[in-house]
Amino acid sequence: MNSVGRRGGHARGGAIWWAVLLALWVALIAAHGVAVAQGRLSVVTTTGDLRSLTEAVGGAGVEVTALVPPGFDPEEYQPRPQDLVRVRKAQALVRVGLDFDLWADRLLAQASASVRRGMPGYVDASFGIATLDVRGLSIGGDGHAHGSGNPHYWLDPRNAEIITGNILAALAQIDPANADAYAANRLAFLARLDVKLKEWDQRLAGLRSTPLVAYHNSWPYFARRFRLEFIGTVEPKPGVPPSPAHLASLIGMMNARGARIIVRQPHEPTKDAAFVAQRTGGLVAVLAASVGALPNADDYVSLFDVNVAALRAAAGVP
Amino acid sequence: MTDALTLLWPAFVVAICLVGIHAYFGIEVLRRKVIFVDLALAQIAALGATVAFLLGHPVQSAAAYGYSLSFTLAAAVLLTFTRAWSARIPQEALIGVIYVVAAAAAILLIDRAPQGAEHLKQILTGNIVTSGIDELVFIAPLYLAIAALHAVLRRWLAHSASVAWDFLFYATFGLVVTSSVALAGVLLVFSFLIIPAAIGVLYADTLARQLAIGWFAGAMTSAAGLAISFAFDLPTGATMVCAFGAALAIAGVLYPLLCGDARLMARHVGMALRWCAAILLVGSALWLVAIPRADQPLLDVAEYVFPALRSGYLSRVEFATYEDARRYAERHRVEAERLNAMEMRSRSQGDAIDDVTVQRISSFLKSYGEMRRGEEFVMHEVRSRARARVRWPLGVGMVVLALLLMPGALGLLRQGATRLRPAAREPK
Repeated sequence: MNSVGRRGGHARGGAIWWAVLLALWVALIAAHGVAVAQGRLSVVTTTGDLRSLTEAVGGAGVEVTALVPPGFDPEEYQPRPQDLVRVRKAQALVRVGLDFDLWADRLLAQASASVRRGMPGYVDASFGIATLDVRGLSIGGDGHAHGSGNPHYWLDPRNAEIITGNILAALAQIDPANADAYAANRLAFLARLDVKLKEWDQRLAGLRSTPLVAYHNSWPYFARRFRLEFIGTVEPKPGVPPSPAHLASLIGMMNARGARIIVRQPHEPTKDAAFVAQRTGGLVAVLAASVGALPNADDYVSLFDVNVAALRAAAGVP
Repeated sequence: MTDALTLLWPAFVVAICLVGIHAYFGIEVLRRKVIFVDLALAQIAALGATVAFLLGHPVQSAAAYGYSLSFTLAAAVLLTFTRAWSARIPQEALIGVIYVVAAAAAILLIDRAPQGAEHLKQILTGNIVTSGIDELVFIAPLYLAIAALHAVLRRWLAHSASVAWDFLFYATFGLVVTSSVALAGVLLVFSFLIIPAAIGVLYADTLARQLAIGWFAGAMTSAAGLAISFAFDLPTGATMVCAFGAALAIAGVLYPLLCGDARLMARHVGMALRWCAAILLVGSALWLVAIPRADQPLLDVAEYVFPALRSGYLSRVEFATYEDARRYAERHRVEAERLNAMEMRSRSQGDAIDDVTVQRISSFLKSYGEMRRGEEFVMHEVRSRARARVRWPLGVGMVVLALLLMPGALGLLRQGATRLRPAAREPK
């Protein structure tokens, strides 16, 4: 009897342990669920522009990290060991695509399965963008070797609608509980952007008849949206110094058209742009093509504020 | 043409100025066997400029120049003492170490200041076309002063093994290289340094003659390089470096002709060329027979130069298919360019194209790209099949041609023929 009772006690003890373990497990899952529900979703983006747009959709709860530090050339970035840790911890990765941030491929090869290509956590923000300067398989006459089109599409503020749409789709799938909140965040951001877009359009209206020259062909989307005319580039192919014949024809064209403004990004070389400016009596306007490239361009909206102001200043519009 | 002249003459003046001082230093560098010392010094100067940039000094300020200069002088001290070890370790090895460590240290520092990366690159990759005369205002007197100093102290600089003279050499050389590299870039400065000097040393024994030959070769090559770069629309620095390489090759080939037994030499060169051609032909023939569908460099080049060759081995149907595909590929390219140009115009002129139409143009362009790729696949496939078909006769033909080209092959044939003739008569 005793022995049976004792055995029964053992059995009861084991059951209690199992119950405790089960309870702990349920609690852990719940805690994880709460963590996700509380919005501590970790998202990694390649560039600062995408970080800003992801923050606009995710709101305060989503923790977004950009891999490229502010001011670095995002096309030439070399990932650090820490970046691998960031990508492994992330539940989603947002990239520019169109061969712009090819370096992210090497990180993705070592990342967790949930952010690999084809998974919900993998966001190619260029999906659905109407790409410009598509030149199929060859290197086009004016530059970019990107067979899939010019990758600087975020410089058209209207494209933010598509980019944030792609981000929203991913966030809603990873964290369905907050999908409505993300959608609302996005709409509020787009409404704010719409107001700003009208303002920028108005402020740049005076520059529509002013021919511009870019150091590198980074501005087709920006030009199209604000109806600006870029008549040429100083460095037609990235990384290849301009030939004298190209410089001569550029200077000739600038003089013929009366173009006086050369647009350069902070990380692009000063010397060649200054040379052309000196030969044409022009001046160099420094514009940021990415969030963080200039001190005041710290989010997607201020990026355009800074660029619009710099262009107006260069054109002498008060 | 006037465009070309106004743009190129400052570059030519800069080049003459650089050739002037570097040919001299080059002769000295060749004598001391420290060929890559200029790369190490330029890299050290760039490291100094990077430190200055990190400390908050603007890139082209006096402070930045001061940092570059003091780093270069420190490197000169290091280089001076490397001679002490040169009995056991070649001095070039230590120079290489200085170069890689300076380059790596600069990368580590730049990591703290993103926009410095571009400045660092600029210090090492000057573009001679965009280097103006105004930069010479500072540099030309400096070079003249250094040249004068070396002329006066030449007796001790060239022959004394003392540490002080070595230091003076490396310090002045560092000063020159640092300034030149910012004007013309590392690659071009290295060519200015080594190639005119090498040509001079090849053809003359006294310093005056070596210098005269080096200056003449350097000036001519610079002019040719600049002209080619303008005429063929090529990046200037890279074109000039290749022109200098070609100049050295020409000087090297002419040397035995001018300074040795010219006829013997010409025979040797002819023989070598024939062997090369024969080996190339046999190799290509084997490659064609083994894997006819792979890239065939020799055939590809031949077809590129003489497109008519294609009709030689393609059947009539194949040729028609090939030409058809080529025409379509070209048409797709032209059409895509037209669409691109139209879209580009519409960005600022006339009525704006709405987003939906841009989307359609974009997908049209992608389709044109794919279609062109398809046509090019057809061209490649037709050619590969034809090559696979004719690989045996063509391969054998190439081997026969190679045998004929081999030195002595004709003689052997003649001998063989005379030996065969009596043998053929014997049965009678």
